[in-house]
Amino acid sequence: MLACRQVSKSYKTERGLVTAVAGIDLDVAAGRFAAIIGRSGSGKSTLMAMVGGLSRPSAGSVIVDGTDVWALSDNALAAFRNEKVGYVFQFASLLPTLRLIDNVALPALLGRRHGASGTYARAADLLERMGLGAYLDAYPSEISAGEQRRAAIARALINDPALLLADEPTSDLDEQTEIEIMEVLRAVNREVGTTLVLVTHNLALAEQAQQIIHIANGGIVANGVVVA
Amino acid sequence: MRLLASLALQNLGRRRARSLLLIAAVAIGSGVVFTGATLMRSIDDSMAVGFTRLGADMMVVPEGALTNITAALLTVEPTDLVLDADALDKAHLASVGRAAPQKIVRVEHSGIGSHHDLVDLIGIDPARDFTIQPWLKEKLNRDLRAGDVILGAGRDAPLGSQMLIFGKPHVVYGQLGRTGVGTHERGVFMAFETLEALAGSMPQRPAVLAPGKVTGFLVELAPGSTALQARFAILSALKGAKVVTGESSLSGIRQGLAALLKGILALMGLMFASMAVMVSVLFSAIVTERRGELGMLKAIGARRSQIVGMMVAEAVIATGVGGILGVILGVLVMRLYERSLVYYLENIGVPFVWLDLLQTVAFAATAIVLASAIGALGALYPAWRASRRDAYDLVRGEG
Repeated sequence: MLACRQVSKSYKTERGLVTAVAGIDLDVAAGRFAAIIGRSGSGKSTLMAMVGGLSRPSAGSVIVDGTDVWALSDNALAAFRNEKVGYVFQFASLLPTLRLIDNVALPALLGRRHGASGTYARAADLLERMGLGAYLDAYPSEISAGEQRRAAIARALINDPALLLADEPTSDLDEQTEIEIMEVLRAVNREVGTTLVLVTHNLALAEQAQQIIHIANGGIVANGVVVA
Repeated sequence: MRLLASLALQNLGRRRARSLLLIAAVAIGSGVVFTGATLMRSIDDSMAVGFTRLGADMMVVPEGALTNITAALLTVEPTDLVLDADALDKAHLASVGRAAPQKIVRVEHSGIGSHHDLVDLIGIDPARDFTIQPWLKEKLNRDLRAGDVILGAGRDAPLGSQMLIFGKPHVVYGQLGRTGVGTHERGVFMAFETLEALAGSMPQRPAVLAPGKVTGFLVELAPGSTALQARFAILSALKGAKVVTGESSLSGIRQGLAALLKGILALMGLMFASMAVMVSVLFSAIVTERRGELGMLKAIGARRSQIVGMMVAEAVIATGVGGILGVILGVLVMRLYERSLVYYLENIGVPFVWLDLLQTVAFAATAIVLASAIGALGALYPAWRASRRDAYDLVRGEG
């Protein structure tokens, strides 16, 4: 499902070249729940961004479901982000001027694969499954952080992506809400079969995964499949 | 896409004060441009009519004739002194552009007004006249014919009605607007043949009504010629004539005003350009401020064209609304002008010709389109630049 080959990312700074990710090779099988763990600044979020088509690698390739992501044209890359990947950020990422249902429907409307009415019906269904059926017309500011995160997961799933990437989705949430969010993500992985890659600095969360990849100083220091 | 357009509108509403200030700035700019362009064009047209009405740069009259010089018109008081009608034509003077001959006779007991009223009957050559007909306020819908008369502003009779002059019927063809000059206000104007036909009815046949004679000529300078050149040439060619010029150099006024209007137009263009720069700077700041949101849109699969389209739509909505408001503001300002300055000008006999409705609407539409275009162009480059950046960099607020 996911293969990274010698993926690197470097940035030019005033103090010279800084390497965030250095020549990573990584494989994640389809349908697996993998966790990438490491300290802050280890390069895990940068690696995730390159996998998700959000940040161009300085070197190397990322293959998702047979597609060399960074060989795609601009429009094809946008379509990849729209259809193949669902991304959950570590911060509140809903658009504040749109209702919850509009936020969830937006990726499908951008991709224009389905009509508006079908898209909104699916968005309502996803929000219902996330326990947010009562908040379809609410704005993000009217619901809690945990509810916003669940809505963001619903948005990430609207186009049935093959790969769901969650970048520290619970880092700013309380323990109870963190548990709820993790339950939702694991349910998506288990029941729908979506490949889930979770970035976290929390070992307890990582241990819930079937594959744990430990990153430090931009490189993989450990990569173990807990359950095949 | 409707949701992106809705997003653009909502983004404008999110920062209401900034959006209103942008709209206000564009409204003022567009209003100034629309009002300025409309007024300038109207002034230009009015000048064309006004200067056509003013027409003469100088008069050529017999020595000894009394003349009336006002800032607006040159006129000759009725006199028995005459010039040859073909005097200027024969002289072939390069500095003379146009020359309109006139015959002026002051009569009593003509049947016009009361029995003892003195009436100035002024004969013109309709084909060569450029000083009387431009003052026509209203006229019959045909050319001037033999037997027609044009009344000065001081006389009143319905158009098309019959007027008896020395017992002979004439048709009221038209009426002049107010000129502020006596001979024009109280005068009755007609073609040479109509005036000459009345000669037999007058107690004494005036010398000027003899064939081939005129009271004087109203002269317009040829382009590039000066009053001094023309005066010298005329006095050299015509014996027994004198040349009278107006209180000001009309050609100089024309050229000066034309240059002034061009200068104002250039200033308006600069103002519009500075508005374009301002919008561009503002939208550059808006794009920077919203890069997180733009990054998010990219992350969920928005294409570059959709992101640029959303930003441009936002700008066009704001500046388009500003343009419309500016036109409305401009219309209100012009209403004020109409009730103040224009009213005053027309009262002192200075014509003001407003643009017709079609042209005004065209100017308004142009102002609105230009305002919208400024928004589109101002937002286009910053939006395009932002759309090229990695979604992750935008989301993290980098660059």
